[in-house]
Amino acid sequence: MKSNELKWALSILVIVLLAYVLPYTLLTDIMKWYGSFLVWIVLALITIIINYFLTKDWGK
Amino acid sequence: MTTTLVWSAIAAYIAIALFVAYLSRKGKQDNMESYFLGDRKLGGFVSALSYSATTYSAFMLVGLAGLTYNGGVGALGFELIYLMGVSLVAFFGPRFWVVGKKYGYVTPSEMLGDRYNNKHVAIIVAISNCLFLIPYSAVQLSGVGYLLQGVTNNAIPYSTGVIIATVLALIFSYIAGIRSVAWTDSLQSLFMIIGSTLIVIVLINGFGGLSGFFEKIETSQPELMTVPGNGYFSFLTFLGLTIPWFFFSISNPQVSQRLYMPASLKSLKTMLMGFLVFGFIYTIVAVVWGFSATLLFPGLENPDLATPLVLSSELVPPILGVIVMVGIMAAAVSTIDSILLTLSSLFAKDVYGNLKKNTTDQMQLRIGKIVIPIIAILAYLFAEMELSLIAVLSVASSAGLIVVVPAIVGTFFWKRGTAAGVLSSVTIAGLIVILLELFQLKPLGLASGLWGISISTLLFIGVSLVTRAPEAKANEFLSYISEALKKAK
Repeated sequence: MKSNELKWALSILVIVLLAYVLPYTLLTDIMKWYGSFLVWIVLALITIIINYFLTKDWGK
Repeated sequence: MTTTLVWSAIAAYIAIALFVAYLSRKGKQDNMESYFLGDRKLGGFVSALSYSATTYSAFMLVGLAGLTYNGGVGALGFELIYLMGVSLVAFFGPRFWVVGKKYGYVTPSEMLGDRYNNKHVAIIVAISNCLFLIPYSAVQLSGVGYLLQGVTNNAIPYSTGVIIATVLALIFSYIAGIRSVAWTDSLQSLFMIIGSTLIVIVLINGFGGLSGFFEKIETSQPELMTVPGNGYFSFLTFLGLTIPWFFFSISNPQVSQRLYMPASLKSLKTMLMGFLVFGFIYTIVAVVWGFSATLLFPGLENPDLATPLVLSSELVPPILGVIVMVGIMAAAVSTIDSILLTLSSLFAKDVYGNLKKNTTDQMQLRIGKIVIPIIAILAYLFAEMELSLIAVLSVASSAGLIVVVPAIVGTFFWKRGTAAGVLSSVTIAGLIVILLELFQLKPLGLASGLWGISISTLLFIGVSLVTRAPEAKANEFLSYISEALKKAK
């Protein structure tokens, strides 16, 4: 695996871990839309953006 | 929703889909690569839509909406963690693609067999995939049966729905192999996403906009906005659900086979990015759908009824309701036809091709075409019998397919992996998953998928370390990949 790939893989790993940890710790009592609902959506969006950068140069 | 309206919508859908399937016939599908992989020439846009339609089954608007109804926002987390897992395609996709082109692989199990230099690997992986995916298709078929029965108040009986879905899946995969599947998939995915998004917009408007919608949930059932919330999504349950799905994009052959099909790396990129955007929107739509059901019909005993009830509620105009009903049917059919095609290629290439000596590509294709209706009929019979074992295997499918993941990771990232490691990890861990599901056991509170992935990883590494790796093949395979990827980028 190239170092570039490794960097992105680690970022995705951190985001996935946050997607498990945050809702079950900090956000368990926030019963509003800006709690787990928003956090999961934001984390998924960040993952999509990372995928964009990962694949940017494919086929060039 | 009147029965006439439902029938007319189904008729319109069938007519349009058949027309598209007919148009998709291009060239002569007279060899395996052409019939099952579209000659590795699929464009990015069609690949993206077809990948979406294949991945997202009737589960989204029925099962995921039901999960939201039961447990709240945890359902969103579950499905978005799956979506994050599709990032695996960014790492495995180009690797599958370059070796597929170089060695001419038609199926993922064929690739495993070649890489580990042992045809039994291909046979066992192919058989285990069939074992879990045929029941999974059966449950999709019964989904269509229940849906039509539900929205028409029994006017269209269960069996009629099941038969319609079976016949459609069969026709779509038969007309032109993967080409007709890919094109009808694309059409069906558009039905799914446009229809359901429109309904969700109508629903949210009915609740007084986004702020009204959230306010209503936050006041009536605030615990639905958190996990574990009402206790439904305990951390261990959440982990047990999400881990198998996280690896779906590489463990399920009907989607991993797609990695061989795009015409170029650019098309592969379009497929991945297009799918991620599609999945992101569709997930939010399905979850909002489930929340709407909790607001409209609180206290249902069977949450799977939530979707038919929303569809026939007063907030939803009947014409829109019927479009989404067709969309859900299309979602099921587009998943089944892809599975049919993939499983028949697995059987023809890996089981028949390895067990029978001196087969030609032509003979394998003929066998594949014979097997498609056989698998469809098996799935149909399973759906009609409603056996409990079938339900068990279907639930176990994501957990059962996950046992191949260590072998797939090893294919590209671990030279020391061996055929004995693959065979032991896939068979032993697969059997353990089936037993755990059959007897409904959760040792240490962990779900079957978690046991599946842990045991298969340990076995794959342990057994590989004490057996001889196919060094020459591994070196050649891996150095080709790194060269090809350097050149391609």
